[in-house]
Amino acid sequence: MLILDEPTAVLTPQEVEDLFGVFEELTEQGKTIVFITHKLGEAMNSADDITVLRDGKNVGTVPADEVTRNDLAEMMVGREVLMDVDRPPANPGDTVLSCENVVVEDERGVRAVDGVSLQVREGEVFGIAGVDGNGQSELVEAITGLDAADEGRVRFDGEDLTNARRQERTDAGMAYIPEDRQERGLVMEFDLVGNGLLGSQHTRPYANRGRIDWDRARDHAETIVDEYDVRPPNADVEAESLSGGNQQKFAVGRELARAPRLVVASHPTRGVDIGSTEFIHDRVNDLRAKGKAILLVSSKLDEVQSLSDRLGVIYEGELMDVVDPDAVTEEQLGLLMAGQRPDIEVGGLEVSG
Amino acid sequence: MSAGDGDGGGRIDRLRDSMVALTEASAGERFLIAFAALALSILVGTGIILVSGFIATCRTPVLTLGGQTLCYDPVLVFDRLFLGALGDPLSGGWSPLNPQFAVTLRETTVLVFTGLSVALAFRAGIFNIGTQGQLVVGALASALAVLWVAPLLSGVVGTVVLIPFGLFVGAVGGGLYGAIPGALKAYADANEVITTIMLNFVASLVALYLINAYFGDPDSAANQTVPLPDYATFPTVLFDPRLDFSLLALLVAFVFVGGVYYLLEHTPFGYDIRTSGLQPEAAEYGGIDSARTVVASLTLSGALGGIGGAVYVLMVLGNFQTGIPSYGFDGITVSILAGNHPIGAVFAAFLFGVLKSGSSVVDFATDVPPQLVGVLRGLIILFVAMPEFFRMAGRRLASPGDGETPAPAGGADDD
Repeated sequence: MLILDEPTAVLTPQEVEDLFGVFEELTEQGKTIVFITHKLGEAMNSADDITVLRDGKNVGTVPADEVTRNDLAEMMVGREVLMDVDRPPANPGDTVLSCENVVVEDERGVRAVDGVSLQVREGEVFGIAGVDGNGQSELVEAITGLDAADEGRVRFDGEDLTNARRQERTDAGMAYIPEDRQERGLVMEFDLVGNGLLGSQHTRPYANRGRIDWDRARDHAETIVDEYDVRPPNADVEAESLSGGNQQKFAVGRELARAPRLVVASHPTRGVDIGSTEFIHDRVNDLRAKGKAILLVSSKLDEVQSLSDRLGVIYEGELMDVVDPDAVTEEQLGLLMAGQRPDIEVGGLEVSG
Repeated sequence: MSAGDGDGGGRIDRLRDSMVALTEASAGERFLIAFAALALSILVGTGIILVSGFIATCRTPVLTLGGQTLCYDPVLVFDRLFLGALGDPLSGGWSPLNPQFAVTLRETTVLVFTGLSVALAFRAGIFNIGTQGQLVVGALASALAVLWVAPLLSGVVGTVVLIPFGLFVGAVGGGLYGAIPGALKAYADANEVITTIMLNFVASLVALYLINAYFGDPDSAANQTVPLPDYATFPTVLFDPRLDFSLLALLVAFVFVGGVYYLLEHTPFGYDIRTSGLQPEAAEYGGIDSARTVVASLTLSGALGGIGGAVYVLMVLGNFQTGIPSYGFDGITVSILAGNHPIGAVFAAFLFGVLKSGSSVVDFATDVPPQLVGVLRGLIILFVAMPEFFRMAGRRLASPGDGETPAPAGGADDD
């Protein structure tokens, strides 16, 4: 018997297919496989029977070939889920973020990001797809100011912010939903009041003449808890005590409350339950409708494909191509993610807007 | 076999659970735990006194049991250690102004400053072992500056100007001396534990050299400066002027306790410090400049140590002498006892003050050797500090992912 817990997060679609091939060989030899995943498609493709767990309870077991995606999603959330939301076409405005030949070297001097150029405009979602560890994190850090680009320029609203400090970028209107909420996005031992302040502790109206206005910080945290349906609805609990999905909702809520011009979202739904995922996806679509610029990095292909207007594929620090997410197939994306350029035309879009 | 393993595992799990539970103890519960630990340490201490009392030989045993003689009376020892330090509050005619209580409060005053110094750095995730050196530098700077300026002033005006001036110079001296390991850590990635330990030696040896070569009192064989004029030392309020304790200095210490508390809990900079101490990566994400925070918090920590040194000079010594007692190192224990909380530091420093002052009373009143009294003191501190240690360990157990957060970062609850 073989138990696999979320083995596909770091694989390309082709590699996932190969893995499923191995599953079949093993099951034909009479082995038993328990495969844990949060991706509906993978469960339906690979499994014979699917057991759904919700809040630690067994919701039910169904045969994989008799169940639809919507049924599964409903079992996971406990109510009906709209899987495909019809979105109005993008109506992009001015360029908000522009990266020009950005190079980031890691501590060993290896080029983790190798000359990436991209533009994100108002009212559009620019997605970045790729297997984890191909320079996404480093690119995001160079854009958001956790690290500085070693070469190239990062412009925000036309202003050169390549070497600006993190706080300046936040103040300029850049919100950042980090991939690791427990290390970066939230201070686990602070309550939500303290966490709501993270990044605004020196900014009016929360800081006034060297004093933190805790009443205002509390109001702020309670507003986020309210609007983003964070449970338990209590701003005094420590971030540590919330579930992953609720932690993420709070972190997302705090970042979006900054009224940003640009939102950089790095794996915004990683390790988040499907209800919160749906909620976060809705927020991304709202932002787009309000004319915000959004840079979305995710290793979930269905996520970047359904949310993006333009989709860049990153491989070993280079942007392989920028494609139309509606026209590209999963196979073509998979080849790009593996560093190969498919011969066929994939509806390539210009990198610049 | 398997049952035994299961029991072992169960016991470890239970220990682990109770350690994690300890991290959630409220301030009140922690006080209760501390008192229970105190009682337990007295119990164990009594055992040790009895054993050594039976082993030792003496002319006037307190008890003869069969052929065995008991030399030391545990009740008397602990009575002297605690009640003696307070000046016998249970006997009639007790006045809070009694000399022994003044000694206790004198020790407490200096320890509040060193405790605050260590606690502030701890809260920023920095282990400042260098408070001792910062205290020495602050004391020396304060004494020399006051000696230099004192001839220009006199009388009440002299006191009003020179005391704040002396404290200020002490703060600057200690602060600059704390900034060195801060800058080394922030910009050269040097471990502050190593650098602060080393700088302690540098401080006391350079002070010794300077006193020997330049600033020593030519009329004295000891390594010390000439005495400060009377108007340049802390005026004693209520207490006997010969006791070297000033309520005013204790009041200044309380003001600083309030100041550090306010800084940590109510200012953006305090938020930066606490965030950096708990989760450096989240601090970076929140726009906090970690290098600047490290330098600033070690500078402030050093300044508090330096003020402690200045108080020691202006209140206790009345000049600068080499060989300053280890207030800085005791500050580390005070801070741990206090859970790195500024207000807790007052109580922890008081406990320390009682033990220090009480030890001398025990020496005076009983035949118990000073080494044994030292053991009892250490035992009490160990027992009272242990729950705090477990609390810190429990925090790590509760969140195993935080392996990189420094252990001392387990700050007190946010009120």
